[in-house]
Formats: sequence, structure tokens, C-alpha cells
Amino acid sequence: MIETGSTPKQGETTILWLIKIVTGPILLIVATIHLIVNHYIGSLGGLQTYSDVVKYYKAWYIPVMEGIFLVTVLAHSLIGLRGVILDLRPTAAMLKFINWAFAALGVGFSAYGLWLIIVIAGR
Amino acid sequence: MNAQSNFIVRAARWFDPRGRSLSTWGFMINRLTALGLTFYLFLHLITLGQLAQGPDAYDNFLKLTESPLYKIGELAVVAAVFLHGLNGVRIVITSFGIAVPRQREIFISAMVLGLIAIIIFGLRMFTA
Repeated sequence: MIETGSTPKQGETTILWLIKIVTGPILLIVATIHLIVNHYIGSLGGLQTYSDVVKYYKAWYIPVMEGIFLVTVLAHSLIGLRGVILDLRPTAAMLKFINWAFAALGVGFSAYGLWLIIVIAGR
Repeated sequence: MNAQSNFIVRAARWFDPRGRSLSTWGFMINRLTALGLTFYLFLHLITLGQLAQGPDAYDNFLKLTESPLYKIGELAVVAAVFLHGLNGVRIVITSFGIAVPRQREIFISAMVLGLIAIIIFGLRMFTA
């Protein structure tokens, strides 16, 4: 029989596990919209030119949706990758380094991505 | 065996398909797609930086996406999104104790649904 769902791993707090689990279904919906837009909308059947992208970002809800997508996908992927590393039983020092590195990556790429969204929405 | 070898051996075992149950195939699909998608996510965010440089930089970059090799890579990303996402929904609902005895059927349905989505996007990407 197939294994039962997911539970917090050793070294993973319940809140981190819950964020990973809750962001999953949100991401499936937003990522599907993202893929449909990128392959079906626009002058060439998808966002295939710079002007298509700028035009797409003109509706106020698009930057909001893309911002939510950015933050949730970064949180989900970094918490997930940390979980994969936990399964490899890292040393305490390695885990401490990973915690700081992943937090920095998450904050850094969120800031960079949100800046990019604001720049494009402003053009 | 040193710590680094142990680390590699443990990771390699995840992807050994010999004599695996449906349960482990679900695990392997989830883990492989997760690693692939995480790598792609950061690559995608970095390359989208071309948007900030203006139309010429971005449109020139997009010319790369017309190559068949790029399209195969893009289809692999689409496949990973659907297989990881739909298998993930199964994991989420069973994590909350819902439909646990029907996991096998849910897994197979999710993979069939994923394959249909991959075919639809694949046809669009290679025929449009």
C-alpha cells in the first residue's frame, strides 16, 4: 500500500511543515495560471515579447498574483529543499549554515523578484 | 565510510528504481521533480532580470526559447510542475487524514491527469 501523507521531519518545526503543506495547493493553482498565460495569451500565443509582458502587467491584480506566486514558491521550495537535506542527516553545524543560507536566499530573491515586478508594472 | 560518502550513498538510494513499490515511485517522482523545479526556479528568476534591461535585451533573450532543445527543457518543467503538484495534492489531503485508504487510486488518477496536462501543453508548445 502507498505510504500515508507527510509529517514534520526531525529538525523541522510544525510551522515550517505547515507552510510547505499549505503553499502546495496554492502553488498548483497559481503555477497553472502562470503556464496558461505564458503559452496561450499574447500576440504570438504566449508572453513572447517584452511588450506582451508589459501589457500583461497593466492589470493591477497581475502584479499582486505574481508577487504572491513569487513569495509562496520561494518559501515552498526552500523549506522543501531543507527537508530533503534533513533526510541526509546533516551535522548541526551544516544545518545551522543551511538555515542562514536559505533564509538569506529567500529574503534576497523575494526582494529582487518584487523589485522586478514593480519595475515592469511601472513601465 | 566517511560522512561525505554516506551523504552521497543515502541520496543515491532515493533514486534506485529496482524492486520499488508504488509508494516509493510516488516519493521518487516528488523528490526528483522538487529538485529539478528548485534549480529551475532560481535560473528563471535570474534570467528574468533581462526584463529590467529593456525590450532589446529581453526580446533577444527570448529568441533562445525558439530552439527545439529549449522547448524540450520547457516541457520538462511543465511536466515537473504537474507531476509534483498533483502528487503533492495527494500528500496534502492524506496528511490531514483524508482519503488515506484511497491513496493508490488518488495517486494513479493524479498521474493520469498530469499526463493529460503534459500532452495538452506539449502539443501547444510544439505545434503553435
